[in-house]
Amino acid sequence: MQFLDKSIQEIHDALKKKEISPKDLVEEAFERIEKSKNLNGYITLNKEEALKQAEALEQKDAGDNLLFGLPIAVKDNILTKGLRTTCASHILDNFIPIYDATIVEKIKANDMIIIGKTNMDEFAMGSSSRTSYFGAPKNPWNHNKISGGSSGGSATTIAARDVLFALGTDTGGSIRQPASYTGIVGMKPTYGRVSRYGIVAFASSLDQAGPMTRNVYENALLLNVIAGMDDKDLTSADKEQEDFTRKIGKDIKGMKIALPNYFRSDIVSEEIRKEVENTKKILESSGATVDYVDMKYLDKAVTLYQIIAMGEASSNLARFDGIRYGYTKENPKDIEDLYLETRKNGFGKEVKRRIMVGSYLLSGDNAKIYYNKALSIRDDMKKEFDRIFKEYDLIIGSTTTTTAYDLTDPMDDPSKSFMDDVLVIPVNMAGLPGLSLPIGFGKGHMPIGLHIIGNSFDEATIYQLAGFLEKKLNLNLDSRKGEENV
Amino acid sequence: MNNKLTKEEVLHVAHLARIKVGEEEIEKYQVELKQLLNDVDKIKEVDGYDEERMIAPWERDAVLRDDEPGEMLNPKEVLKNAPRHSGNYIAVPIVISEEA
Repeated sequence: MQFLDKSIQEIHDALKKKEISPKDLVEEAFERIEKSKNLNGYITLNKEEALKQAEALEQKDAGDNLLFGLPIAVKDNILTKGLRTTCASHILDNFIPIYDATIVEKIKANDMIIIGKTNMDEFAMGSSSRTSYFGAPKNPWNHNKISGGSSGGSATTIAARDVLFALGTDTGGSIRQPASYTGIVGMKPTYGRVSRYGIVAFASSLDQAGPMTRNVYENALLLNVIAGMDDKDLTSADKEQEDFTRKIGKDIKGMKIALPNYFRSDIVSEEIRKEVENTKKILESSGATVDYVDMKYLDKAVTLYQIIAMGEASSNLARFDGIRYGYTKENPKDIEDLYLETRKNGFGKEVKRRIMVGSYLLSGDNAKIYYNKALSIRDDMKKEFDRIFKEYDLIIGSTTTTTAYDLTDPMDDPSKSFMDDVLVIPVNMAGLPGLSLPIGFGKGHMPIGLHIIGNSFDEATIYQLAGFLEKKLNLNLDSRKGEENV
Repeated sequence: MNNKLTKEEVLHVAHLARIKVGEEEIEKYQVELKQLLNDVDKIKEVDGYDEERMIAPWERDAVLRDDEPGEMLNPKEVLKNAPRHSGNYIAVPIVISEEA
């Protein structure tokens, strides 16, 4: 029986009729994970607990909760009580959280079952998940390619169809970019939409968690569960509970869409530009207007990101000192020796580089020259987005400049991991919601993603457009069938 | 543009970050850190910085929660993750040495 290939409604109905139990779903998920083990999507599996939790649900009625009893994978920088959470780093490879992140509490309260913790770039710093202490995950469409990053393991397990739901985090594209590379749907919600409590902080003014799924509807369903104000995160927004699926299926006639020229400039590969143009034609023939627009500051986003993300990371990662948790140097001479040696051996190369540059950027007068100036220009960039959203409902472009590249591509260029995210970073800078939707395939049948950007707290309209295109394009996004093509 | 930090600059930056840099790593960092610093220097080409402007990453007023005692972490649980502890305390190595 392969229930995890069925629609969410079919699974739900089968659960209601007791044709299957949550335990069947969990067992099926682990069979699939076992089969795709070589993809290295997971750092830690939660089999025993998951089965226990599934058994506990046997007595419970699913009600109208479509997510009841469904397995979910959680990125390994999101705290799960009693379940090892490593951030793919040696410095946390023995760390067992003593509380749940708020979003983990929420998925548990909705009777979803955590199946395991997914692989990622160390502390979410990277764009290919190759900075993981546990080795990189592989792209299910072609095992020689990256899954992207930093939420590469979550993207891998969804694209491999091990489970239907995963959580990722996105500081500078880390949900949307791997979603694009692996042909799945990934949403970074508006900054403040989802609580950050219990998510290991990377760059606090940018970090946001979001859903990664095989389709648009299921993505919106999961956002329904994790969204909401949290007393423990004062940057979480006090917004009314809403149903993010409510506009899916609605017509897009009259919708006004902007396509910034920068997003179709020659930094984007030809095959991707072509796919975006095709999408534009589909939208126009369906009654939407798509205008090319000029936007200032988009080409500055990576520089701003480097300053803000490295600066904030250097401050946030100061907590890893070998004292309260995690890896520590044995028999240190004194406290200085403890700090220096713990951090030297505990962190990987990419993380150390970023902490060092970040510390420099925030030291003395540099804070003004770099960090404060970056915040100021980021504010200008936000206003530029505001200007566009006065006239348009949505902004589109491609999610990435190329399709997924080889796992063996060189890693010695420290700027490379930032440039991979050049098209998705502006959205984090402006705190806006953005989603990647598969719209086609490039050379070697590697997926191409469309980036749909919405106005603040207007995730519902993003889902409307994404849902419309998904139906219209009707692509076969099952990588297990695609495998024969490579 | 200079494409290398000096050895001293690397050691200074490493000290700020409290990360030990081995002799064998210095040369690599001289190049890699300089490249990232060249990247971020591009901000100097952007006009329009207003030093007086107040910047917050979100536009909403900060809402404080009610001032009521909430759940506390259990100290025993906390100590389980601490590499060194003594009684109810987390232990640290010597902070001020005799030579200082």
